[in-house]
Amino acid sequence: MSQLANLAFEEQGRVIVARLAGEVDLSNAADLQQSMLDAVPNTAEGMVVDLSVVNYLDSSGIRMLGEIGERLRWREQRFAVVAPLGSRVRDVLTIAGAEGVVPFEDTLDAALERIRGADG
Amino acid sequence: MAALGAVYGLAGFLSLRLALVDQNVTPLWPPTGIAVVAFLLFGTRLWPGIAVAAFIVNLPITSSPLAAAATAAGNTIAPIVAVQVLRLIGFRTELDRVRDVVSLLVVAPLTMSVSATIGATTLLVTDQISGADYWQTWAVWWAGDSMGVLVVAPLLLVIWNQAHGLYRSPKRFELLELFGVLCVLVVLSLLAVTATVSILFLVLPVVGWAAWRFQLWAAAPAALLVSSAATWAAVQDRGPFEDSTLLDKMITLQGFNATVAFTAFFLAALVAERARSREALERGAADLEVRVERRTQQLSDANRRLAGQITERREAESRLRRSERQLAEAHAIARIGSWEWDVASGEVGWSEEMFRIHGVEPDAFEVTFERAMTFVHKDDRARIRQDVQALLAGRRGDIPDREYRIVLPDGEVRTLHSRSKLSHGPEGTPVRVVGIVQDVTEQRAFEREHRIADTLQQALLPASFPEVEGVEVAARYVPAETGLAAGGDWFDVIPLAGGRVALVIGDVAGHGLEAASLMGQLRLAVRAYALEGHPPGVIADRTDALLHDVAEDEMATLMLVMLDVASRVATMAGAGHPRPIAISSAGARLLPVASAPPLGLGGRGSYPESTAVLEPETTLLLYTDGLIDRPDLPIDEGIDRLLRAAEANARAEMTRICDGVLSAMVRGDASDDIALLALRLLPVEAGELRLRVPAEPEALQQVRRRLRRWLETADAPDDVRDDVVVAASEAVSNSIRHAYGPSSAWVEIEAELADGQVEVVVRDRGRWRPPRGVGGRGIDLMQACMASVEIEQSPEGTVVRMRRPLRSAVAP
Repeated sequence: MSQLANLAFEEQGRVIVARLAGEVDLSNAADLQQSMLDAVPNTAEGMVVDLSVVNYLDSSGIRMLGEIGERLRWREQRFAVVAPLGSRVRDVLTIAGAEGVVPFEDTLDAALERIRGADG
Repeated sequence: MAALGAVYGLAGFLSLRLALVDQNVTPLWPPTGIAVVAFLLFGTRLWPGIAVAAFIVNLPITSSPLAAAATAAGNTIAPIVAVQVLRLIGFRTELDRVRDVVSLLVVAPLTMSVSATIGATTLLVTDQISGADYWQTWAVWWAGDSMGVLVVAPLLLVIWNQAHGLYRSPKRFELLELFGVLCVLVVLSLLAVTATVSILFLVLPVVGWAAWRFQLWAAAPAALLVSSAATWAAVQDRGPFEDSTLLDKMITLQGFNATVAFTAFFLAALVAERARSREALERGAADLEVRVERRTQQLSDANRRLAGQITERREAESRLRRSERQLAEAHAIARIGSWEWDVASGEVGWSEEMFRIHGVEPDAFEVTFERAMTFVHKDDRARIRQDVQALLAGRRGDIPDREYRIVLPDGEVRTLHSRSKLSHGPEGTPVRVVGIVQDVTEQRAFEREHRIADTLQQALLPASFPEVEGVEVAARYVPAETGLAAGGDWFDVIPLAGGRVALVIGDVAGHGLEAASLMGQLRLAVRAYALEGHPPGVIADRTDALLHDVAEDEMATLMLVMLDVASRVATMAGAGHPRPIAISSAGARLLPVASAPPLGLGGRGSYPESTAVLEPETTLLLYTDGLIDRPDLPIDEGIDRLLRAAEANARAEMTRICDGVLSAMVRGDASDDIALLALRLLPVEAGELRLRVPAEPEALQQVRRRLRRWLETADAPDDVRDDVVVAASEAVSNSIRHAYGPSSAWVEIEAELADGQVEVVVRDRGRWRPPRGVGGRGIDLMQACMASVEIEQSPEGTVVRMRRPLRSAVAP
């Protein structure tokens, strides 16, 4: 596996946080998608994908995020993305008009709030 | 002359009182002695003084002046004749020789016959004596004159000589003794001349004693004293002369006087002569002693020289023995044996080492040519015999070096290198062959292994390097010239995905075949791990584990540099290897690589990674320790020198930079293998970018990096750069996803600047399928990022042409 991107997980209560670093493109998007879906147990409330330190995301990445959100929705689990305002990833998501498909927030706290808030 | 005359006259008058004949003939006439001495000492020219004095003395006692003149003439002529005769026979006035005394004793009586004859004849003629008395008168006259000479002359001469220092001075006790002797003589003489019995002879021993003890200067006065006493006694008719005839008196007196004079003077001269001889002898003896001493000195000098020469010779012999021993030891160390072959007699001599080389004890057997041949390997015998026959037939002037094998008694086969030299006799026939052989078995085996290892290593090292975009690479490998060559140094250049390249350099400990083959394995392992995408630390870790596994106890050093060409970020890991050098416009520096143990000594996680950002157009230099680790140089100084050499060659072409550094660092032969690998970041071209990448998702990263670097060079603003990269990456993604089937294909990317516009063209050989699902978002992104996006589809493929201004934002 190439070193293009790194992936690490942590639990915040019943929410799984996936921290992604590096670049996401056609070459690794499918693998990353599978790894992240595998990391979300049925008991989890949902997952936040933190893109704060990702420096490249292409259409494959956007598609990856969309598909993760769709799968989790099928499993009645919630999904949010951290893409800070002004970051390159946020620009790409905005330009590509992904707001409807990928729910993104500025900060991790905001993303977590979105998941928990939706629950309550 | 007048004084002489006066003395002569006075003596004459005194003497006449002792006259025996007619008042004018005396038995002791001292004036004649005075005349002789005067003539001897001062010459006969004084004769007038004597003549006048004699005339005056004779005048009163002769009958007429004529008679006195005749007598005076006789008195003068006689001393002159005596002196002439004495001079003729070599008389010496010193009177210290026997012959002088004898001369005087003989000459005086003979010559005094002249005056006696003249005087007696005159008396006869003038009738003063009768004819019967003639001979008696002649005899008294003759005796008087003779005794005058014999008794007076020596005394006068002694006084004269003593006054002139010819004799030694008497010591005080000697004077006393002399005085005593003379007193005894006086007493004895008085006794002798007064006693009625004849005891005159008693004085002789005393006279002899005086002469023996004090020589002339005692003998002369003693003689005068005794003679005077005897003469007085004769004149007075006393003692022994009482009642004797004139003739008897004369005979007795003259005999006595003559005996006394002879005894005294002869004995004195004899003793003097003896003393002189003894002195001469002593002088001679002393002289001899000096000569003997000198000669002894010469002999002992010669002896010392001889002893010195003997010592030198012994030292030379000892040196010779020592150098012979050293030669034998040197031969033993170098395993060199020497031999000698006398062609005529067939005798062969072997050195001790020669026997040892053949596996036998020295002098174990009598060596002959045929005996020696039994050692030679059977395949080499014919060749040696041919050589020898050609040599003896004179067909060959010199003997070429040969190598041949021998079989030792235990069956071991050894290889000998032989050199020999032939010497010819006067007719040009071969006389003697001398030679040496050296056991070169190990040397040949070593050389064979060296050749194989060398070949193997050259085969294992990359013959050329792959093209890597944006960098230039050069390498040198210098095998050690001395010692065990063909080491385990290696280097490698591995192009990696994403515009990266891995530089590898390493050194397996040890030399020869084993090191070379292990090097081949490690090189492949590192290459494999690198191509799998592992970072440097992991590669070092895994290679270390592999080395533990395949070759326990082996060790290797390694330096890995993984370079992102676009960002110029170097990620590095080292394993006991010298750190790389980075040369840029700022100078040469060692890159900060964390130290870690060599491969084979490490453990899991022993190899941390370090990173460094390189200046644009940096040249990286990787090397093995053979370049800096020299026996004559501390390692730090070696590195300093390398940094200086690197700076000096910083601007050289890549092919020259390695040679420049090598020639600065290596003087003469390299003592260890040296591997040197250089990489230079090429200046980025601001013109056109052309890329051709495989149609695989993994190529996307490389496309983005190259394009980003190109845009940086073109000084594009950050957001413009990011937009163009996104658009191009999406276009390439589309080609990868839609244009081809699973088989491999290529995508070409071109980018250029024109009129402030950036144009990116992406070309493939396939036909895009219509987009499906959310994947269509790619075209949206391209259009959002660029001012214009044109997609041309044709049977040859699809071309996406995108443009946008370089400096301004895209209108939404």
